[in-house]
Amino acid sequence: MENIKVNVTLDAKGLACPMPIVKTKKAMNTLEAGQVLEVQATDKGSKADIQAWANSAGHQYLGTIEEGDVLKHYLRKSSNDSSIERKHPNVTSNDELEKKLDANENIVVLDVREAAEYAFNHIPNAVSIPLGEIEERLSELNKDDETYVVCRTGSRSDLAAQKLAENGFSNVINVVPGMSAWTGKTNTLNK
Amino acid sequence: MSKKVAIIASNGGMFDAYKVFNIANAAAATDQEVAIFFTFEGLNLIHKDAYKQLPMPEGKEHFAEGFANANVPAIPELVAMAQEMGVKFIGCQMTMDVMGLEKDSFVEGIEVGGAVTFLEFAKDADVTLTF
Repeated sequence: MENIKVNVTLDAKGLACPMPIVKTKKAMNTLEAGQVLEVQATDKGSKADIQAWANSAGHQYLGTIEEGDVLKHYLRKSSNDSSIERKHPNVTSNDELEKKLDANENIVVLDVREAAEYAFNHIPNAVSIPLGEIEERLSELNKDDETYVVCRTGSRSDLAAQKLAENGFSNVINVVPGMSAWTGKTNTLNK
Repeated sequence: MSKKVAIIASNGGMFDAYKVFNIANAAAATDQEVAIFFTFEGLNLIHKDAYKQLPMPEGKEHFAEGFANANVPAIPELVAMAQEMGVKFIGCQMTMDVMGLEKDSFVEGIEVGGAVTFLEFAKDADVTLTF
């Protein structure tokens, strides 16, 4: 399987409870809000513990991949991105996007979450370009496409939609709230 | 708003030490405020010499191998880790008097207090545990 892109990787292999959690906490302190941490552990209890820990500490648990004896957990550091005021004027709902997808309309879905978030769960055929990479990867997109931008809660996609509009994209729509409440079809990673 | 975890450690065996310090470390790593009140045999868990060689329960000595295989940290490591993460240790003054122990017999950084010191912390704790 291809590697999932992360900001920091923590090796907690061979450590017993509660060490994977203690190390995860320390590693998380080195990340910036919104960045992704991969924790490699062999403690089988870590799967439940990491989820509970993330939940309690307010971080986003993305998922776990098992490779032999090694559990790779993916976490995204909490960010207060849901509290930012949205500015892009052209907005639609999850339901409206789902209808367009079901009708096979000629649209592009751009997912601006981190690669690890995308890997675990995304709308089929969505294009993955994390918010932080948008400017350098504009050439991968077509300015005339009807482009629906999604993230988890609608905030990062708002910023991305503004960037696209500034760069001459005329038909950009922010999807709110986005993947946190998405009930339509998805491609998920086999966990 | 962080949660508070209040732990009473009143037994002095190796298993007791793991129960106390694993929970305390896990709680501290989850940004919870933790205090442990060490009383009676529980004081062994932070005694400078005793905590390096805490006894296994009788008849359970064969678990020593399991501890080694599972790569479980030694108690002094767990103690240091807990202190580094801000877990508060309170030694029971009354027990120390009874056993003729002074504060300098214990690891650095402990507080010494009576039952009320602990109760003051525990009165609004979200989780209270006794080991």
